[in-house]
Amino acid sequence: MVACGDGGYYDDYELSSFAPEAFVNSNYSPFFFTSSTTYYNGYNLDDSNTHYSQLVVNEWASWFDGQIDTTSLKALIITAGVGNIDSASRYYKGKLNVLPVGLPDLKNSKADRRKVSAFFDYLILAKECESYAVGPGDYWSYEKTPVKEVPQALENTLLKAVDAAKDPFIKQRLWFQMVRYYYFKQRQHAAGPVKTDVPLPAYFAKEEASFPKNMMYYRTLGYLAGYYYQKGEYAQANYLYSLCYNYSFEMKIPSRWSFHPQNEKDWTATLNLAKDGAEKITLWHMLGTSRDEARAIKEIYAIDPKSEKLDLLLSRLVNEREMGGQPLKDTSSSNQAKRLETAKERALVNKIANEDKTQKPYYWNMAAGYLNALSGNYPVARTFYGKARKQLPARDTLVMAQYKLLDWLLYIQQLKRIDAKTEAAMVEPLNWLNSLSKNKKSIPNLRFQSAIGQSMTILSDLYKKQGDVLKAYFFHPEIGFYNSNDRIEAAKALLNKKNKTAFEQSMLNYYSINVGQLSYLQAILLVYQEKLDEAIVHMKEADTVNRSVMYANPFNINIKDCHDCDFEADKDKKHFTVLGFLEALKTIKGDLAAGKNVSRNAALLANAYYNITHYGNARVFYYSATVTDSYGDSPSAIPMPYRRIVTDSKVAEKYYLIARANAASKELKAKYTYMAAKCERNEIYNAQYNNPGKDRKYSWQFDFSNIPTGKYFAELKAQYSQTRYYQEILNECGYFKKYVSKKH
Amino acid sequence: MKYEFADMRQKIIFSGLVITGLIICCLTGCKKKISTADSAFYYWKTTLLLDKPQADLLKGAADNQLYVRLFDVIWDEQKSDVRPNAIISINQDVSQFHIVPVIYITNKTFEKLSPDQTGPLAEKVNRLINEITAQNKISYQRVQIDCDWTTGTKNRYFAFLKTFKELNKKQLEATIRLHQIKYADRTGVPPVDKGLLMFYNMGKISANLKQRNSIYNTTDAAKYVKYLPLYQLPLDIALPLFSWAIQIREGKVIQLYGKIGQQELSDRANFQQTAQSNVYKANKSFYLSGVYIKENDVFKLETVNQKLLDQAAYQLSKHLAHLEKRNIIYYELSTNAAAALKAEDIKEVSAHF
Repeated sequence: MVACGDGGYYDDYELSSFAPEAFVNSNYSPFFFTSSTTYYNGYNLDDSNTHYSQLVVNEWASWFDGQIDTTSLKALIITAGVGNIDSASRYYKGKLNVLPVGLPDLKNSKADRRKVSAFFDYLILAKECESYAVGPGDYWSYEKTPVKEVPQALENTLLKAVDAAKDPFIKQRLWFQMVRYYYFKQRQHAAGPVKTDVPLPAYFAKEEASFPKNMMYYRTLGYLAGYYYQKGEYAQANYLYSLCYNYSFEMKIPSRWSFHPQNEKDWTATLNLAKDGAEKITLWHMLGTSRDEARAIKEIYAIDPKSEKLDLLLSRLVNEREMGGQPLKDTSSSNQAKRLETAKERALVNKIANEDKTQKPYYWNMAAGYLNALSGNYPVARTFYGKARKQLPARDTLVMAQYKLLDWLLYIQQLKRIDAKTEAAMVEPLNWLNSLSKNKKSIPNLRFQSAIGQSMTILSDLYKKQGDVLKAYFFHPEIGFYNSNDRIEAAKALLNKKNKTAFEQSMLNYYSINVGQLSYLQAILLVYQEKLDEAIVHMKEADTVNRSVMYANPFNINIKDCHDCDFEADKDKKHFTVLGFLEALKTIKGDLAAGKNVSRNAALLANAYYNITHYGNARVFYYSATVTDSYGDSPSAIPMPYRRIVTDSKVAEKYYLIARANAASKELKAKYTYMAAKCERNEIYNAQYNNPGKDRKYSWQFDFSNIPTGKYFAELKAQYSQTRYYQEILNECGYFKKYVSKKH
Repeated sequence: MKYEFADMRQKIIFSGLVITGLIICCLTGCKKKISTADSAFYYWKTTLLLDKPQADLLKGAADNQLYVRLFDVIWDEQKSDVRPNAIISINQDVSQFHIVPVIYITNKTFEKLSPDQTGPLAEKVNRLINEITAQNKISYQRVQIDCDWTTGTKNRYFAFLKTFKELNKKQLEATIRLHQIKYADRTGVPPVDKGLLMFYNMGKISANLKQRNSIYNTTDAAKYVKYLPLYQLPLDIALPLFSWAIQIREGKVIQLYGKIGQQELSDRANFQQTAQSNVYKANKSFYLSGVYIKENDVFKLETVNQKLLDQAAYQLSKHLAHLEKRNIIYYELSTNAAAALKAEDIKEVSAHF
C-alpha cells in the first residue's frame, strides 16, 4: 500500500537556526536531519556497484607503496573487463606483444614485479566474480530470473586461491571474494525451488582471526550480515550491520540502509548480542535515527554520557522540533500530544545539560536553551545560554557564531520595549546578520536566514505596538503603509537624511526599496486622480523607473483589447517612456482646457486613461510601481486598494463622452460610444473581481457567461447602425454581434 | 464551445438512456435488472505468488481475471531520468490466468519529462511489457495505465498514451480518479479505449480521528457521482478491497500501513483501544513488522468490508449509464480484506452493475 504523501518541500537551511555541523562529527553528516530527502547534503545511497570504487583503488595504491598511480589502477580495477585484464597480465609477463588500447602499461613502473603479478592473478579472479556480484546497469532490461547464476566451479578455485595466497593483503581480499561468493550462492538458492544452505558463517569464522579488522574485514562482515538477513535471522543481521556502521564513514550509509529490526523480539535479541556498552550504544544510536532520538539519548546517556554517538541524536531532536513548529501558549486538545512530547524532551535535555557529564557541555546547554526558547520558556533558556557562554570553545568560529545567533534570537524574543539604549545595543548584531546575508562575511554552515526573518517580524511588530509606524515599515514593508501619502513622505525623508544614526543605518541595510520607487508610486496615484502637475514632479524624482518603456502607443485604441497586437503593431515605432507619456498627457490636457480641438484631445486623454488600466495596452504603467506588487494577468492578483484604482475605467469613460459630444461626424460618435461601452463592460467585470465574497476564488470560478451589455450597446444599436464603424464593430466584436442578434 | 456542445449531446444521450431504461423497467416490472458485469482482481505486490485461498478466490469470484501491476515508472531524482521501479517477479505458473498488464506511472514523471521524451518513454514501456509478458508466457489483450495526471501534465501524459497505443496496438485503458471526473473540462479525457474509475481514496487521510473513512464514504462519494453521466469514456470500475492503519504522531499523519490491521492492533500488550473503536494507542515504543512504533502513537484503522462494498456499489451503480460486460475490479487480491470475503460476496457486489 503506497501512501502518496507528496508533502511540502522545505529547504531546511532556510527554516532552521541550529546547525548540526557546529556540534556533530562530520562522519555522521549524511544522517543530519532533513525534511525532504533521505540523506543530508546531497549524500545518497550510491549505486551499490560503485560505492567502494575509490576506496578499493586507494587500498591497492597504498599496497603498491604509491609506485603505481591511481589512474592506472582505476583503469584496471574498475573499468577494464576480464578479457582485457587477462591480456594486460600476459603482456606484463611477456607472453603478449601488444597491450590492448586504453590499458596502462605497468612494465616501466617501479612496483615490485611479484606484487604486480599477484595483483593481476587476483584481478582476473575478481573480475570473474563480478558476473554475479555486479548488478545490471540498464534499468529497462528484464530478466525472468534476476538473480544471476553463481558458477559452481568457482568455489574450488577461490578456496584454493585463499589457501595458496601468501601476501596477507591479497589473501584477505580472496577471503572476501569467497564469502561474497557464498552470499550470492545463498541468494540464488533462496530464489530457486531447492533450499540448500551454504557454509558461509563457518567459513567466515574459520579464517576471520587471521585478518586485521580493517575495511576489507568489515565489508566481508557486511556479507555475513546479508546472509543472516536473507535467512530471516534479523537479530544477527542487524547486530552485524551495526558493527559495520560503527567502523567507518563509507560503511555508514549502506549499513544504516540495511538495518531493519522487524519485531521487538529480534530487536531485544540484537541488544543481547552486543558485547559491551559501546556496541549497545551503536544499536541505540541507530534506533534513535528512526525518529525516536529521545529514547536513544536516554539509553546511551545511561551507558556513557561522554559518547560521541549522542551528538547526532541531539542535533536531530532539535532540528526536528524546530521544523515541527510549536504553538507557544497553546492549550488546544489537538496539540496535547505535541505538548506532552516536547515537555518530555525538554525535561530530558535539561537534565543532561544540568549534569554537565557530556563531552561537550556547551552543546547540551545551547540545545536545552534553544528547545526552551522554542517552547516560550525564555528565562529558562537564558539560564542555559548563560551556562553555555562560559564553556564555549572560543576558537571554533562556527560554534561561536551559532551561540551568537541563538543569543540574539532569545534577546529579541524577550524584548518588551525598544528605546534608544536597546537600539544602540542592536546595531552590532543587526550589522553582523546583515553582513552574513549580503555575503560580506562567510561562516560556512551557519543557518541564519530564519533568524533574520524572525528578527524583522519581531522588531516590526514591536515598533508597531509602540506606535512607530515608520520603523515598523522599514523592518517589514507592508503594502498598507502606502495608503497614506504622509507616511510615504516620511519614509522618503529618512531615506534622504544626510546624517543617519548608526541604528537607522543598520535598519536601512535590510530595506531594499529606494526613494525612486516610492516617488513612482506617488506619481501614478496622482495620475489616476488626474493631478498631472504634481504627478510630474514626483515622476521626475523616480529616476530610472520613470524611464520604463511603453511598448504600444498609449494614445491609440482599437475595437478589441489585444496588448500583444498593439505591441506588434508599434514594435518599430519610437516608444514613450512613462515620464514622456506623462508630459504628453499634460500637454493634451492643457490644450483641451484651452478649448483646442476638444473632441480629438478628449479622445486622446480617454484612450490614455483607458490604456493605463488593467484592460489597456499600458499595464507597464502600474506594473512599474513594484512596491504594490500589482503584477498578474487577473485583477484578482492585484492587491487592494490598487485593484480598484487600476481597473477603474470611469475617467476614460468621462473623456469618451466629452469626445462624443464634440465630435464632428456620426462615424466618430459611433466610435466613442463604442469605447464608452468598453468602459462600461470593464465595470461589469470589476464588480465580479471586487466582490468580497469571491476573494478566495480562482479566476475560472468567476461567471463571465453573460455578455456584458449596458446602455452604450443600446445606444449604438438604436442610433448608429447606419455607420461604417458600426459594421466594423459587428465584424470584430463577438459580444456585440450576439447582442444585436438577440431580440430586445 | 466545442465542449459545451459535446456535453449537451452527452446529456441528451444520457436522458435518452434513462427514458429507455424507464420504459424497459416498466415493461419488465422492474424487479431486478440482470447484471452482465464481470469481476476481476488487481494484484499490486512485487512478487506474484498466490497462496491457495487467494487462488481459489480469484477463480471462484473472478474466473481468473487478474490485473497485474508489472512495474512502476518513476522519476529518478539522482539521475534526472525516468526509469522503471519495482518490476514484478512472477514466481508461479500463470498460464491459467487472464492477465491484464497494469503500469503505474507517477505524475512527477510527466512533470519532469520534456515533451519530446514522451515518445521514447512509450517505446521503453512497451518493450518492457512485452519482455515481461513474453518471458512469462502471458498473452494479453489490453493494457491499463495508471497515472494521477493533472492539468499541468495532461498534454505530456496524453501524448504518451497516443504513442503507446500506436506501438502496442492492443486495447488501451487508463485509470480515472474521481477528481478527474469532476473537473473533466480542465484535466481532459485521456485518448484511450476505456477508462477505469477508481472508486476509492475519496476522503482526506487525516489525523482528525472523527474524519470519515478516507477509503470510501457515501458523503464524499456523493460530491463526485453526479458528474459520472457526463464523462466521455466507457468506464470499468475499481472497488476498494483493502484496509489500512493510519499512524498518527503528535497530531500528524506519519504513514499508512496495510500490514498493520485489526489483529495486530488488538494485541493488548502493545496497544490500548481508545473510546473510539477503530482507534488504538501504542502503550510503549517497539518494532512491529519492520515498523518502528513510538509510545503514544495513535493508529486509526480504516477498513472495507462486505457491507461497505455493497453500499459503494449501490451508490455508484445508480449513477452509471448501462455498459455491457463492465469489469468490476477489486483492489486487491493479496489483502486481509480480500481474504475475509467469499467468492459469493464478491459476485453479489458486482451484481449491482
